[in-house]
Amino acid sequence: MKLSIKWVVTLLITIFSIYLVFAFNDEGPLRILFNLLTFAGIYGLAAIGLNVHFGLTGLLNFGHASFMGVGAYVTLLLIPHAAGREGEITESGFPFLLALLIGVISASLFGLLLGLPAIRLRGDYLAIVTIAAAEIFRLLVRDLESITGGVYGIINFSDSLQKYRPLFLENFVSKYELNPSQVWVGLLSWISILFVLLILRRLSNSPWGRALRAVREDEDAVRALGKNAVWLKLQSFMLGAGIAGLAGVFLAFNYGSLQTTTFVPLLTFYVWAIMILGGVGSLTGPIFGSIIFWVIISETDKLASLIFENANGQQLAGVRFVLVGLLIMVLMIFRPSGLLGKKEELLLNVK
Amino acid sequence: MIDQLGNGLLLGIIISVASVALSLLYGVTRIVNFAHGEIIALGAIITLFLSGPIDSKVLFLERFSPLGKSFVFSAIIAVILCGVFGGLLELLLFRPLRKAEVGNIAVLVVTIGLSIFIRHLYLLFATGRVQNFPLDLERRETYLFFEMTPRNFKVLIAGLVVMITIGLFLTFTRIGKAMRAVRDSGELASVSGINSDNIILFTWISSSMLAGLAGIFQAIINDVRYNMGFLILLLIFAGTVLGGIGTSFGAMVGGLLIGIFVQVSVALPFMEGHTEAKNAVALAIMILILLFRPQGIFGQKERIS
Amino acid sequence: MSNSLIRVHNLKKSFGGVKAVDIDDLNFESKELTSIIGPNGAGKTTLFDLISGFQDEDNGEIFYKDKNITKSQPYKIARLGMVRTFQLTKVFDRMTVLENLMFAGSNISNDSLLQSIMQLSKQKKYEDSLKEEAIKVMTDLNIEQMSSSYARELSGGQKKLLELGRSIIKKPDVLLLDEPLAGVNPKLAEDLLEIIQNLSNQGITILMVEHNIEAVMKISERVVVLAEGALIADGPPQEVRENQKVIEAYLGTGDE
Repeated sequence: MKLSIKWVVTLLITIFSIYLVFAFNDEGPLRILFNLLTFAGIYGLAAIGLNVHFGLTGLLNFGHASFMGVGAYVTLLLIPHAAGREGEITESGFPFLLALLIGVISASLFGLLLGLPAIRLRGDYLAIVTIAAAEIFRLLVRDLESITGGVYGIINFSDSLQKYRPLFLENFVSKYELNPSQVWVGLLSWISILFVLLILRRLSNSPWGRALRAVREDEDAVRALGKNAVWLKLQSFMLGAGIAGLAGVFLAFNYGSLQTTTFVPLLTFYVWAIMILGGVGSLTGPIFGSIIFWVIISETDKLASLIFENANGQQLAGVRFVLVGLLIMVLMIFRPSGLLGKKEELLLNVK
Repeated sequence: MIDQLGNGLLLGIIISVASVALSLLYGVTRIVNFAHGEIIALGAIITLFLSGPIDSKVLFLERFSPLGKSFVFSAIIAVILCGVFGGLLELLLFRPLRKAEVGNIAVLVVTIGLSIFIRHLYLLFATGRVQNFPLDLERRETYLFFEMTPRNFKVLIAGLVVMITIGLFLTFTRIGKAMRAVRDSGELASVSGINSDNIILFTWISSSMLAGLAGIFQAIINDVRYNMGFLILLLIFAGTVLGGIGTSFGAMVGGLLIGIFVQVSVALPFMEGHTEAKNAVALAIMILILLFRPQGIFGQKERIS
Repeated sequence: MSNSLIRVHNLKKSFGGVKAVDIDDLNFESKELTSIIGPNGAGKTTLFDLISGFQDEDNGEIFYKDKNITKSQPYKIARLGMVRTFQLTKVFDRMTVLENLMFAGSNISNDSLLQSIMQLSKQKKYEDSLKEEAIKVMTDLNIEQMSSSYARELSGGQKKLLELGRSIIKKPDVLLLDEPLAGVNPKLAEDLLEIIQNLSNQGITILMVEHNIEAVMKISERVVVLAEGALIADGPPQEVRENQKVIEAYLGTGDE
């Protein structure tokens, strides 16, 4: 890892933002730090998955939230939980790890299902189709009340994961008055990030990674050289979808309950903003992107409530998204390589 | 099912006008403008602002209620302002991007960011509440087979008139022909003396005016919401795809059909109890079209993969 | 007598009413170096697209090594040993020259996702030998000094060389070269021509679309002339050059 300027800048900005958080918050700094780290762990993981789609393969996926959703729903439905208006309880279930595995694989398979028809489409059409598919997913989830609990959601599932919480964590948490469930989820998501990044690092320098980059550059040439561009894209799509599915599970456990309002387009936009901010195509970019992104939106929440004193909660949340939109625009126009992206690999001139 | 047909026509006319607007813009600039929904909403919001009290705790806008402008007058000004807005978008944002040769993918992401940005500004300044134009309630009457309020019927007719006008415009006027020329082969057009920058500007303005008009229609038929554009954006895409990308006529027909399909699907047996999922029907249609007949009904075989 | 390597039969393709290709029969023999010439819009690139699977024909059949490849997908045709280049070079801009070549030379199983995660020593060995091959190709083409440069930094001529190199490293049986000399300076054109000649001498069947008539005359064993989608001449270079119909086609109609 060369210590180039962009790394130095990124680290400085990251440290500075974390400092800002401490400076402007009198609420226990450690608690805030862990809020931040858990958020960053989950969204960073999701953004890493998206980066496989867009950064590595050039696929415009604007339905990322649905992959996260599939992972979450499948996993949760396979473990003990309560769902729906009556709070109908399902007591038995698979062991957590197995459910998780099935959930992640299901997310990948959803990627395959969506990819089979969609992956051949040109950029802008793929964007539209992925948004449409995510919307169909959202509507289905909301309507299939008997399975997903509909608008009442799924609850009472946390134990399956929390019961594995190690002792050292309990001690640590009680010492600093932190939320043990959240810390556990955060820890797990960061371990996942580590694991995933190690694999991806291997992959990007591998023949497979090289093939994907070629597909990103020019599919026709790839075909003329005897490689199945569609299958390569599908593999990448499935890989990113699986990673997103894992992140979705963590997101659900972090909330403690699963609502139909969780896996919506706004979530997808968050992840996009984080990915672009961190640097498209950069492996570790999403991590820094998510940390700084969290700082931006949590500080603006406060700023917004100061400025717009008469606004209600929904409107204040709106300010956050005004920023998200602005961030995406400004980054794409002025600094598309984000914090850690490679300038040489910019997409600016890809038509 | 017949009642739904009437609703379908109304929804269809909104989507039609909006689809033509999007299709014109795409045809000439090759940009899929995800912020299109926000321009649609702008028409409704400005009209609301001018003609009736707007409920906004932010900026104390309710002090400006009402400006006392007549509804029609407000609507006209709103449409014009939407055109201005579109023109500004082109001059300040999209033209510089074009000159800097920024790729289509980047521009697309920018439009997505733009849509998020604008939409939540609306939320901030116009609140998330559902609001309505200051118009009297009307009773539904029967027109041919359909039942709808007289006002909605007027909207329907107005929409049809607008579309016919556009069709005539594109076919017979000099500018219309120039627009089609730029659409069909951008570079050749500039060689034959058409200033594509001006044509593009004109397209942005007219597309935005149409979008604003569609928003006003939508607000008359339904209501005003900060995310009203976003809600029908996918339906607009579906309409454009169904009718055929790159043809305005296709967009008109596609939009109408999608509106009808969406509403009529509510009456289908398997939709029992799942009426909110009616949009999913349109989206599924769109995906199927892209798979099996990507040029839609009237489009030409453009390379979309 | 065995069948020709490539056989085109009854091939028709139109775009919006305009006939792009209309050929009754056209065969290419193994190891031949054939140039395909004709005025602009004669359908030459379309013919390449049809043969290599990049476009669908309206009518007709194409056989390669006696297999019916009419409806085959481009990547499958390439795997059968037929590799093509493009009129506008399609190098992988944001990859280095070396990566471009290694990608081309790598076989499918080497590219697999699973293998790439496991990274067994087998793959490492394969990659090493692949790298050597790539270096050899670069050296033969005189671009080894650009090995670690991004492909988009290459000059037009170097890009042509790279694209050719990518095709060569696959050890193809047939090369479809679409205007390999277009926009290339005379010195480089000579070098390219020599390389193409060498490839032909090594036994690779070559089909070349070209506008550079001098070059065509110099190295072709056979020249096929298309005009308005149809075959108007087919034979040794000298013969074709003196063919009345060909001369007319080139001086031709003036309507483009």
